[in-house]
Amino acid sequence: MESGVISGASAGYPVVVHPVPRRWQNGIQHLTKMMNLKKLKRRLSLTFKGNRGLNTSLSDLAEQMTIEDSNGLTKDRNSSADLIQEPHSRIHIQIGDEEDVVPDELPVNTEEKRDYISPVRMRNRRRFSEEVTKRLSLPADIRLPGQFLAKQSLTPEGQLSRRSRRKSLSEIGFGKIESYTKLDKLGEGTYATVFKGKSRLTDNLVALKEIRLEHEEGAPCTAIREVSLLRELKHANIVTLHDIVHTEKSLTLVFEYLEKDLKQYMDDCGNIMNMTNVKIFLYQLLRGLAYCHKRQVLHRDLKPQNLLINERGELKLADFGLARAKSIPTKTYSNEVVTLWYRPPDVLLGSTEYGTPIDMWGVGCIFYEMACGRPLFPGSTVEDELHLIFKTLGTPDDVIYPGLSQNEEYLMYNIPQYSAEPLINIAPRLDGDGLDLLSQLLQYQAKMRTSAAEGTKHAFFNSMGPSVHRLPDTVSIFTIPGIALHRDPGMRSSSLNTSGRIRRQSMLF
Amino acid sequence: MNENEAVVHFRVIRFVYEAGLKLRMKTIPIASACVLYHRFFRENKLDSYDPYLIAATCLYLGAKTEEEQHVNIRDVVNVTYRTLNRDKPALEMGTTFQQYRETIVNCELFLLRSLQFKSVVYHPHKFLLHYLKYLEDWFDPFTWKSVPISRTCWALLRDSYHSPLALRYKPQHIAIAVIYMSLLCHGVEVPSNRVSDSTWWKVFKEDITLNEIKDIINEIVYTYDMETALQT
Repeated sequence: MESGVISGASAGYPVVVHPVPRRWQNGIQHLTKMMNLKKLKRRLSLTFKGNRGLNTSLSDLAEQMTIEDSNGLTKDRNSSADLIQEPHSRIHIQIGDEEDVVPDELPVNTEEKRDYISPVRMRNRRRFSEEVTKRLSLPADIRLPGQFLAKQSLTPEGQLSRRSRRKSLSEIGFGKIESYTKLDKLGEGTYATVFKGKSRLTDNLVALKEIRLEHEEGAPCTAIREVSLLRELKHANIVTLHDIVHTEKSLTLVFEYLEKDLKQYMDDCGNIMNMTNVKIFLYQLLRGLAYCHKRQVLHRDLKPQNLLINERGELKLADFGLARAKSIPTKTYSNEVVTLWYRPPDVLLGSTEYGTPIDMWGVGCIFYEMACGRPLFPGSTVEDELHLIFKTLGTPDDVIYPGLSQNEEYLMYNIPQYSAEPLINIAPRLDGDGLDLLSQLLQYQAKMRTSAAEGTKHAFFNSMGPSVHRLPDTVSIFTIPGIALHRDPGMRSSSLNTSGRIRRQSMLF
Repeated sequence: MNENEAVVHFRVIRFVYEAGLKLRMKTIPIASACVLYHRFFRENKLDSYDPYLIAATCLYLGAKTEEEQHVNIRDVVNVTYRTLNRDKPALEMGTTFQQYRETIVNCELFLLRSLQFKSVVYHPHKFLLHYLKYLEDWFDPFTWKSVPISRTCWALLRDSYHSPLALRYKPQHIAIAVIYMSLLCHGVEVPSNRVSDSTWWKVFKEDITLNEIKDIINEIVYTYDMETALQT
């Protein structure tokens, strides 16, 4: 580093002397004219106060606000104060009316053409193309009515305005509850019930997750999160959200239907899975998770019941209700205990530092369960769960798990010093690569656990060939020749009999 | 967006910040509320809806999506009512309260539908933090300590939500522009920026251009302009 230059900079802050274009100069003149440092600071005072105000009491804050008010900035707020009472009726009308809710194409008025906000026009175009591709996930085999197709091709340049596009989607039947027939109930929670259903548009089976809206606090947090996350996640190993139907009493999420979850699958094959299938499922799990983690979305509730599997063997992550939740509940709203079996020790010991590694421990547990036919750490309480983990993997010291000896919860449980059991003893069906991958997933220290993306590259998957790594996001791994499910040794011949059975826990919040 | 609408939105965002701080919401949930608000009015006409109702609902929705778990609907109703009606007594539990509560619950669903259920917002804050961390190592400690670059950045970023800036630019780009503007305000230059092969902002994010930085800064300056205009 050239220290000379740096110390030179510190002596007297050199004023910027770049040649500046004219338009830009105006900006600087503005800046210097009206915002010399003192003024700027005063003007930013509100924000600075906010920074400091983290510890101040509510009334203090309110006081600051009123001071700020006397500047006259918000003087005429009172005149509009009564406005909040008016819109009751407006909103109700809007909700009832399907068409009016949809905004029209943005009017590009002359104001927007001023040069300092020139990117506005660009934005419109970009959003349009996004609209077309991201829209609703129309199934490929949708049987569109002839008149609809005719109408679409009639429009000039093949483009539809937002309003008419939405209108035509609603004409086909999207967003309408009449388009779906409810069949059997698959599961129930306090405010979500899952039904098997059939789409009248495509004749395909769908899963209808019906969220009741009779709660004081409005739409449940978990539902809002799940919907908004799933709208952005488009991947072959993540369950597809086809449609959202909003009626007066409920919000229904329409998902693609998959025959069973991994728990059922394992039950159906008598808990003895073909090792090739274990590999295929684990790869898909890691692939879907790598996609989520790349977008900073954590699943946080991985368990076999949340991994859905169809007949082809495609595995998809489902139930993102807890995804990104800051605190993981120990009980559901229906007071059902959330399983602890797949929870990492750091979370069990009260760590609130959440990152992508918290999902990876669960992957290890699921991997073991698929390969060995029994859950790895089936604890019933937090203490029991920790005992089971430490008994198998050994009670860690401060080198393996820094800070453990100071952890209050750990001290409270008074766990004896176990020594580690070699993984080969507990997982005899795994080969060397499999054991290596398992041990990398079951690391005490969160940052030592292998990531989902690294996991897919592990030598364990070498037998699947190099082309699996080059697949586009939305393409299933079964498009690659040579990858297919093998017959599981314990599979009963009539595996489909169980498909209508109630999914345990998976759909319950 | 015409001048008058921009002024209205500016005032409403002030209201969002005021109510949000009273609700003890953190920076990110409030910022999310602002973005949701701007997203809504990008698609809808201002004269069709009451901006303060939309703003109150955005606050509530922002708190939900960012998991500000202590914010409940009762507080939202009370705080927003108090903020809007300073001279009236606080709202009592009763039919009026229930009506407000129901209005917000209904408006929330309407808002979600109008936003097509896209309620996740990506903010420049974490990028800003990372970039500033890097710059801190690059500057000599004395300059970094004596000039409040980070604080100015943070303040500028907060104030930038008064305009729909966040809808148009990538979060990384906004973070860079805010740093650029802060350095400009304090008359400080990134050490050896002029002799290095690429400018400091290109190092952080390759696809940003000086023109874009200027566009963003111009827009922030315009927001402050508007505040000045409101004060006089």
